[in-house]
Amino acid sequence: MISRVADHGFWLGRYVERTESTARLLATTRSLALDAELEPAACWRPVVVVAGEEQNYATHAGGDLAAWDDGDRVEAFLAIDAEVPASIVRSIGAARWNARSIREVVSLEAWESLNELYLWAGSDAARTEFAERRYGFYRRVREATQLVLGLMRSTMLHDEPLDFIWLGVMLERVSQTARILDVQHHAYTSLTNRHEVVETSLWISLLRSLSGFEPFMKQHRNKVDALAVADFLIREERFPRAIAYCVHAAYQRLAAIRPPEAVDLPGGVTLARLRALDDLITARTDELRGNAVHELLTLVVDETHAICESLGKELLGHA
Amino acid sequence: MTAPLFSGYAPLSGTFDEILAVDGPRPTFARVLDALDRLNTDELARLQQLAEQALLQQGVTFSVYSDNRGTEKIFPFCLVPRLVAAADFAHVERGLEQRLRALGAFLDDVYGDQRILAAGVIPAEMVLGAVGYQPTLRGVKPPGGVRIHIAGVDLIRDPEGTWRVLEDNLRTPSGVSYVVENRTISKRVIPRILDRARVHRVDHYPTKLAETLRAVSPRSIDDTSAVVLTPGPYNSAYFEHSFLARTMGLELVTAPDLFVDGDVVYCKTTRGPRRVDVIYRRTDETFLDPEAFRPDSVLGVRGLMRAYAAGNVALANAPGNGVADDKAVYPFVPDMIRFYLGEQPILAQVPTFVCARDDDRRYVLEHLDQLVVKAVDEAGGYGMLMGPQASAAERAEFRARIEATPRRYIAQHRVELSTCPTWIGDGKQLAPRRVDLRPYVLTSPSGPWVLPGGLTRVALVDGSYVVNSSQGGGSKDTWVLKSGGAI
Repeated sequence: MISRVADHGFWLGRYVERTESTARLLATTRSLALDAELEPAACWRPVVVVAGEEQNYATHAGGDLAAWDDGDRVEAFLAIDAEVPASIVRSIGAARWNARSIREVVSLEAWESLNELYLWAGSDAARTEFAERRYGFYRRVREATQLVLGLMRSTMLHDEPLDFIWLGVMLERVSQTARILDVQHHAYTSLTNRHEVVETSLWISLLRSLSGFEPFMKQHRNKVDALAVADFLIREERFPRAIAYCVHAAYQRLAAIRPPEAVDLPGGVTLARLRALDDLITARTDELRGNAVHELLTLVVDETHAICESLGKELLGHA
Repeated sequence: MTAPLFSGYAPLSGTFDEILAVDGPRPTFARVLDALDRLNTDELARLQQLAEQALLQQGVTFSVYSDNRGTEKIFPFCLVPRLVAAADFAHVERGLEQRLRALGAFLDDVYGDQRILAAGVIPAEMVLGAVGYQPTLRGVKPPGGVRIHIAGVDLIRDPEGTWRVLEDNLRTPSGVSYVVENRTISKRVIPRILDRARVHRVDHYPTKLAETLRAVSPRSIDDTSAVVLTPGPYNSAYFEHSFLARTMGLELVTAPDLFVDGDVVYCKTTRGPRRVDVIYRRTDETFLDPEAFRPDSVLGVRGLMRAYAAGNVALANAPGNGVADDKAVYPFVPDMIRFYLGEQPILAQVPTFVCARDDDRRYVLEHLDQLVVKAVDEAGGYGMLMGPQASAAERAEFRARIEATPRRYIAQHRVELSTCPTWIGDGKQLAPRRVDLRPYVLTSPSGPWVLPGGLTRVALVDGSYVVNSSQGGGSKDTWVLKSGGAI
């Protein structure tokens, strides 16, 4: 497979996943802000930080401190602002651009559904939906991205191109889950006036943003607290948005592309590194108390970044 | 207001309307017209909207050059099909096969012994002075012996209904993806009418093209790796490049994906280098290889022409074909047919004045207000003077240009292009609009094959003669009717 094509496939997967993740995060934060006895900034600042847009948002706010309390403003910034690199409309555009660059690889049905999402996201209809039916807007984005991912799996050959797309999806998901958990874990555990009810609603909201509330409740019927939630989102191998699951799935995709025994083919360094991360997460069985969560998540984020760099050099034709 | 579809439809005087003759609808199309006429204007408006929506959703778009943000538009589409009678197309088909055999022989000759120049059939300076002539390729034999793998020949019909060749496109003709996609839309939106009409299929074009490409591979067909080379997603025809790669099951590559080692072309893959045998290149030949054509260019694949000359890779189409579709060489194609094949030309042409010839030039300069002047090395409707509509200043400018470089210009009397009923969205009615037809011809070592169909381009603007998509043109699905049973 051509390295440039693999590169576009990988980023197609990443941007589709990022689109969905951002939509989930904004929708659940909105719901949280509506019923929590929390300062609005405590809800919204972590969202901006997770998106990596803290600096941009500060510039956008232009010294207006109230902007950090203004959920509508954060949402508009991260959902429909075409000037913001991490916004939903920009991620959709980037996903579609990558797909268009490899139209011959993406199945017609998957392409059409992504193209429809793109055309809608740039339309007045989408802006009206955002202004008047916010929940409907996020729901449509989430469903459309799920449709794209589902169509790719059900209408494309299960071979190398799809492996690269899925590798992108999984590594993006590792990084999203790790950052969402890290930022929110930090924000919630350092609240000054901690209150059990408030804290529980925060953890439930976090689980919801990762579609993990119901699966979590099936596993942990008792208290929803920092320890249990972090453990679930990091180590639950059966939950498809948990870090352990995603890292392992990413390893399997890469091992299909470049089998461990094929020592003559490029990709060995990346594969070994991904394997090491997979092993490291599986090997950790201690209770993740105190700063351990933050340290582990920082490692995961850094390693994922390094793995993507190495992948670019070995297989995607980056200089 | 709802009205029967053809009520109020009147052909233009002095033009050939392909559907409506002076004494009523042409009998060959009766069956189709009857089915179409059952639609009223409201229904057609609704169906037309459905068709446009489908094209946009499928991403059947072209990029607009003038817009650096890479905006994409759909190629305007008229749902009312362009009908071609079986007998008409049989004539066109024979004519095109003959023409392509002669043009292929001409290219072999020009890059070989140049017998036709020695015989004085075409003035040598017309050929050797053409921008598309590549002297460095003389003596290079293309793998499989084919040079014009894919041709798109533009045809028009004059006021008598006679088919005439307007120009040959022998380098990288585009548009065939719209032929296939337009049919998909017809099938989806007006299936019953299509069924009643009994139309030749066009969706096997990609398969035929893939066979044509494999047939010229320098290696055995089982080992052959063919690719489609595109300038990239910003190119106006990118949709088509990707469409063809996808429907042929070939990989779409850009120049940086390829490299040459030891006169063999390789592709950079996730499993290391892989040999490439056939390249269907949709890039301009001057950007193929910086080593051979443009030392200043960073585009292209360094060493590609060495690999080609060594016979290790087939390029479709062959570089150097521009000498045969040069507008100043066009007037001599009938002579080529007689010279190489010993046959009389089947298809007529448009009488052409070659400004490099003294008598012709004098006539052209005296009749600028009646002629269409074309620069020989430009396409897409650019570099043209439409004499009858031009201002005095425009005519003066062309006079100066012709006098400065006569070799660059030819002139023709404006041909009254035939018209077809075309849906006009603003007026919600059918009106006659001028059309041309670009059929596609694939040539493999066993000879030419003509796709029974082609791209019908239509000048959507009232009174316009320019069918190019860059200048207000649109397209129609072309229905070549099957012979027999025409009731």
